[in-house]
Amino acid sequence: MRALSLLRLWLVQIRYALTRELTFRANFFAWVIVELSWFALQLAFVGVVYHHVESIAGWSRHEMIVLVSTNQLVQQIFTAFLMPGLTKLPELVRTGKLDFVLLKPVPPQFLVSTAELEIGPLANAGIATLVTGMGLHALGVVPTFPSFLAYLLLLFTGLLVHYALLLFLVSLTFWIVQAESVLLGYYSIFQVARLPREAAFGWFRVIFTFALPLLLVANIPAATLIRGMEPGPMSLFLLTSVSASLFASLFFRLGLRRYQSASS
Amino acid sequence: MISTLRALPTVFSIGLQRQLAYRWNYLLRALFSAMPLLVSWVFWQAVFQTKETVGAYTLPGLLTYYAVLLIVEAVSSPADDDFQISREIREGMLNPILLRPLPYGIYRFFLFLAGRCAYFTAAFLPVVLCFFLLSRAVPLELGSLDLARGLPALLGSALLQFSLTLCLSLTSFWFLDISALIFLVYSLEFLAGGHVFPLDLLPPPIFAVARLLPFAYEYWFPTASLCGTLSHEAWQAGLCLQFGWALGFLVLAHFIWQAGLRKYTAAGG
Repeated sequence: MRALSLLRLWLVQIRYALTRELTFRANFFAWVIVELSWFALQLAFVGVVYHHVESIAGWSRHEMIVLVSTNQLVQQIFTAFLMPGLTKLPELVRTGKLDFVLLKPVPPQFLVSTAELEIGPLANAGIATLVTGMGLHALGVVPTFPSFLAYLLLLFTGLLVHYALLLFLVSLTFWIVQAESVLLGYYSIFQVARLPREAAFGWFRVIFTFALPLLLVANIPAATLIRGMEPGPMSLFLLTSVSASLFASLFFRLGLRRYQSASS
Repeated sequence: MISTLRALPTVFSIGLQRQLAYRWNYLLRALFSAMPLLVSWVFWQAVFQTKETVGAYTLPGLLTYYAVLLIVEAVSSPADDDFQISREIREGMLNPILLRPLPYGIYRFFLFLAGRCAYFTAAFLPVVLCFFLLSRAVPLELGSLDLARGLPALLGSALLQFSLTLCLSLTSFWFLDISALIFLVYSLEFLAGGHVFPLDLLPPPIFAVARLLPFAYEYWFPTASLCGTLSHEAWQAGLCLQFGWALGFLVLAHFIWQAGLRKYTAAGG
């Protein structure tokens, strides 16, 4: 029941945010172009590297395109629905406007996370889907229906990892007054998700597989589409992403205890 | 003129104080800036498993490029100067600055210098640590660093990045929000500037075009100059183009500023 009312609240917030977004249509198109150019940059990088080599850690050019575009797809969905709200947290804390969030009879983490929406990234998510499809076509792969369903579930799991990382980083704002650089941190750390899992080694692989499963975010869904379902890695991904988001949620609550409202 | 010169150390000092007011934010930024180097190491290690060289690069040569790029970025890239300038124009904070007997471009340049000094100081230890850790895994080619050619190119890169930032930010006289424009140029700087990969890995015809654009002189040229991978002729020609682009953007910024001021309305007390 509570979950249902939260979902209803989220839908209302989405409708409100959508109205606000559509007021600035030029801005919408500008951001679509910006995000497209960053995606083009990643594809250009793949093109340049595969100009010199045939395969990287067992991934061919088109497999790598599926990997990169799957990563882009997860990132764009996250950027549309959850990231805009989370990135406002440092400002809310610094200006004391978090008071207004805390006064409402809804979990603050939910309100902070869902308060904003950007529709531009959704257009780019569509383009990423198209590029993924083109990559699969070039590989001559037609995913089975169960693989496709698993892919959708794994995309959602990837969103949890994005959410966990950014929630953890923005929660640092309760300790550091100005924490704008955390967004840079998020983008820097998330570069890991574009790497083929097999390329990683040593402690890097351990940390980014078990503690913060960035190496699984795009790798597992892309591999599921290309090579079919593998229950072991899929279960590991589900488990680690849920753990990471629970840890981030606890960290947020810990930070919230330190918050001093503007009026105190 | 003399009063302007006297004011510059004060502007520099204000810039330093502004930057150091939020030390943790700064330190985090410096720490995160090392992350791309780590990712590059893992990625290229996998690429070089099947080949000895990629283009003209060996694995140590390529990682030296990325490591030196970290220094170039710390010394020459503006932090949030673009957003600061945009805010000053949009929110009318330009009014008190206009009353001062100090040209705005020079005022901003000294704030930029202060920001770079503060950031380089904060980033120094993480960068040294990165170099140390990386050199334990891969023998970086730091012995071939060419400071005589690299330092002028680094200076030119700072000047070019500042002038380009100034041009972009001053469009705030006309636009309410320029963040999309700024991020679009960032993406061009990353791709065509040699931030994602050394530009000489591009197919030769594309590389020839990229070398004519200003972005190549922001990251690739100073990094390649420091790494000592450019011939003397290529370095000389590059330096001329780099300072030419920087001068061109400074002149353009001057005209944008003049036109913008005619449009600017100062309101309030």
